[in-house]
Amino acid sequence: MRVSTMNAFSTGVAILQKRQQDMEEAQNRLTSGKRVNHASDDPTAAASAERAMASIGRADAAQRALQTSRNAMTLAEGALGDANELLQQAHETMIAAGNASYSDSERKTLANKLADIRNQLLSIANRPDGAGGYLFSGQGAPQPPFVDMPAGQPTGPTLPLFPNAGVRYLGSGGTIDTQSSEPLPLTVDGNAAWMQAQSGNGYFETESGDRLAVPAVSPSTRAWIDKGSVTDPSALTTSSYSITFSGAGPTLAYSITPSGSGTAVVNASFVPGQAIQLDGMSFTISGTPSNTDQFTIRPSTPSLSVFDALDNAIGDLSTPSRTSQQVQQTVAYGVRDLDSSITRIQAVRAEVGEVMNRTEGVESRISASKLNAQTEKSNAEDLDMVAGVSEFQGQQAGYNAALQAYSMVQRMTLFQYLNM
Amino acid sequence: MSIGARALFANYAALQTVGNNIANANTPGYSRQQVEFATTKGQYTGAGFFGKGVDVANIVRAHDAFLAKEASLTKSLSAFDQTRRGKLADLENVFPPGERGLGYSAGQFLNAMVDVASNPSDPSARQVVLSRAKELASRFAASGERLDTIQASVTSDLTNSIGTVNSLAKQIAKVNDQIARTQGGGKAPNDLLDQRDQLIAQISQFVQISTIPADDGSVAVFLGGGQRLVLGSEAQALVTLADSFDASRTRLGITEANGTRALDSALLGSGSIGALLTFQDVDLQDARNMVGQMAAALSDQVNRRQALGLDLQNSPRSGVPIFRVGGPVALGASSNTPGTSLGLSIADARQLQASAYELRTDPAGSAGIYQLTRLSDGRVFLVQDDPGGNGLVNTDPNHLNQQIDGLKITLGAVPMGSTDRFMLQPVTRSANTMARVLDDPNGIAAAAPLTATMGSSNKGTATIAALSAVSSTIDPSTGKPFPTLRGAINFTDDLGNYTWNLYDATNTLMATGSGTWTAGTPILSSTWLPAPATPSGYEFSLNLNGVPRSGDVINIDSTKFPGSNNGNAKAFVAMQTTPIVGRVMQPGGALSGGSSITDAYANSMSNVGVRVQGAKAAADISASAATDAETARSSQAGVNLDEEASRLMQYQQSYQAAAKVLQAAQNIFDTLLRTMA
Repeated sequence: MRVSTMNAFSTGVAILQKRQQDMEEAQNRLTSGKRVNHASDDPTAAASAERAMASIGRADAAQRALQTSRNAMTLAEGALGDANELLQQAHETMIAAGNASYSDSERKTLANKLADIRNQLLSIANRPDGAGGYLFSGQGAPQPPFVDMPAGQPTGPTLPLFPNAGVRYLGSGGTIDTQSSEPLPLTVDGNAAWMQAQSGNGYFETESGDRLAVPAVSPSTRAWIDKGSVTDPSALTTSSYSITFSGAGPTLAYSITPSGSGTAVVNASFVPGQAIQLDGMSFTISGTPSNTDQFTIRPSTPSLSVFDALDNAIGDLSTPSRTSQQVQQTVAYGVRDLDSSITRIQAVRAEVGEVMNRTEGVESRISASKLNAQTEKSNAEDLDMVAGVSEFQGQQAGYNAALQAYSMVQRMTLFQYLNM
Repeated sequence: MSIGARALFANYAALQTVGNNIANANTPGYSRQQVEFATTKGQYTGAGFFGKGVDVANIVRAHDAFLAKEASLTKSLSAFDQTRRGKLADLENVFPPGERGLGYSAGQFLNAMVDVASNPSDPSARQVVLSRAKELASRFAASGERLDTIQASVTSDLTNSIGTVNSLAKQIAKVNDQIARTQGGGKAPNDLLDQRDQLIAQISQFVQISTIPADDGSVAVFLGGGQRLVLGSEAQALVTLADSFDASRTRLGITEANGTRALDSALLGSGSIGALLTFQDVDLQDARNMVGQMAAALSDQVNRRQALGLDLQNSPRSGVPIFRVGGPVALGASSNTPGTSLGLSIADARQLQASAYELRTDPAGSAGIYQLTRLSDGRVFLVQDDPGGNGLVNTDPNHLNQQIDGLKITLGAVPMGSTDRFMLQPVTRSANTMARVLDDPNGIAAAAPLTATMGSSNKGTATIAALSAVSSTIDPSTGKPFPTLRGAINFTDDLGNYTWNLYDATNTLMATGSGTWTAGTPILSSTWLPAPATPSGYEFSLNLNGVPRSGDVINIDSTKFPGSNNGNAKAFVAMQTTPIVGRVMQPGGALSGGSSITDAYANSMSNVGVRVQGAKAAADISASAATDAETARSSQAGVNLDEEASRLMQYQQSYQAAAKVLQAAQNIFDTLLRTMA
């Protein structure tokens, strides 16, 4: 078959150019380190690398969110620890106030100490989170979330009545979560932590007098009731009871009437120091109740505010000229309420600690999934350096050989050998 | 003597031809010429026939018409593939992988919302979101611009190519004329024939042509589909015309005696002009539609999500749109009945497909039925006007009365005739004008409009998993204050039955009712009072974790502290993994399929990548086929210098031998003369 000279030259040049282009592409891959520089190099790998990159972006964002949550929870846990310490101090102070030999002025000193503790607790409850918000703002609160308000405020369709002045929570309950790979809280529910301790002993609340009756019944001045205990949980009912005393001296007797029913279920004579048992409850009334003294028992509700408990104790201890039974009652109330508050704060602190534990697990999961995505991206688009280098060298050698062959062949022509 | 002279002359002619071959060895299109010797007729004598020498009968060129045609056809195909490959490589740069791409930018924008969710009142986190939004809008607009630039380069390439084709056609016509004139001489005008073949080969790189030789020696050239380009000594001119629907696209036209006529691009076949037109009509439109689909879907979903949240203005209201994109366009053909028009709007941006559509009346002639063709895959829908005001809806019994692909198409007042055509472009130009229209960081609606709290004495384990607004009859284009709403859900037993109450701003009971919650499904306020009966104008979806018990209470309130609430910001973040592009409506009315925004970009990128890969492979194959065909042709018709060198020697020797013959004849004559004298 004939070979046209022009065609032979142009084919040779075309082959050289193709080899040169291949070599350049191999060099490009080496310099960029990527096997896939354009989507057309390997479309499925490019799409897979793109999706992996999106996963990496999401993992980064999740890590940032997790860090914010961790910061907030660390601060909250510290605040709750501080609050716990203060409440322990208050507890000791309450117990000391029960010393019968104290005079009014000494009790007033203790009351001042409690007032100081109460103010410190208020500032802990309003502790900022360092980013312009508050740790205990729940699902949102004005600034700050806990405010001293006068009696009767605030009002609202879902808020209880506030007959007395005191610290009120102005935010919304619940927590705000951030969007990490799973929701992680940014705030602690201030309402739940500070305002919702169980009243009474956790099952039922004992009270001297009846503050919720209309008109209110004032507490006894000669007798006090302890916080009571539960002897048989299965026998507990959810009704309230009213214990009315009548008579005096040896004829002192009491009757217990459940609320809503007019008839008494127990009529007995009073024995001082002896525990009264009723429907699984057991409580003791000490001192000498007067005629028409009334005591009330109602079920516990999660409505005890730490601040209200301290305010009540402060108010009572500051009042001069009280009987020893009244003092005992104040101490009984105070110790009971502080116990409940401490339990509540500790429970919330344990929750926060648990969230921080969970955060560790979440963080390691996010890191693992990010690493996974990075590996996938690298596998899809990165160049295996060893293969890339050897491919480049192969191209180089091929190009070299083509150049040499070209120069050898194209020099051969018959005209060289003709001497005419 | 005359024999010698003849031989001398013949060999001289042969040498001249060889010299011509050597001189033209590198001329493209030159066919090697050969001298054809023929013996002169012998003279009859009594002693037999005496030869009279040699004549040069003809100078023929080595030319195989079949090989030439083959070479020209494969070159045409190769030019088509090369051009397409070059243009697609340009197009691929609009879809870069990795951090320069649209998908990365969209992911960055939505991920920046995480920082707003972590700290809703932080102005710097919000500013970051806004700057990422601007970056995203700019990238989309830049992509649209690049596509416009590619279209402009296609148009200019077409204009240049057509100019070249026209001049080549004129030259062919001239050569035809010259060849026809020399026809009478009986000898083939080799150089002119070579020149014409070369011109035809050059033209075939631009357009696929077929040739038919005529009796007068001229060759008629026809374009691929049979359109006459050159006939005899007359050439027609190609021109570029604007497309009858879309003025930015170019069509081919041909100038004839009675005006300009448009040519159907599909009939042009291979060649670089055919490649440019195919690229413009198929690949470029697909790319525009893919980019526009993503822009329209993302912008719509972001704006809707904004409208369902509260911003941080002094009196918080529903968020205003963040993005603006180009709107859908309905184009009538220039030949339509005057006064006909179509209204086109987007009913559900999630169902938009990456395609343009063509609308005409039903070819079968049924009254009130129209045919809507989706151009990307050719799917045909038969639609009719919906009396309920939803525009043109499907007549297919499985999808009865559903809008097609999320589009609301409303007919104009003037009825369409049977020859009227409309091109619907819902997404084609969406990306070009994409811009961020929100500048105030406080305008980002990060807060959810509603907050739910569990009652304090709840005994069950239920907690709020998520509360979000899910639909809105509020106009997303203007922020309005959310009406105050309060709701309370009271569970009446342990099985999830509850009663609900709705209160208005003055805390008056508006409505009450009951419902049942089942684990794993949200409580939807739309099951209480369907909109628009719900006075608040928006509906919510409440997801619970855990199990509620009898007596548990959930209070739902308007969010009082938008600066701390991040419910809507979390919904933005969740948009990254929610399918929002290209969803399909199932027969039951539910949406399925579709991809998230980053997946949609990955798919578009690999779609274009596959095309480029295919074009590269096709270009390689057709290039090697063209090379083979050209080698075959030139092996027949090309000059081999070694061969010419040997022939040079051969004819030189013959010339010398012929000279010797002359010399011998001269000696004989001299001897004769001397003998006579």
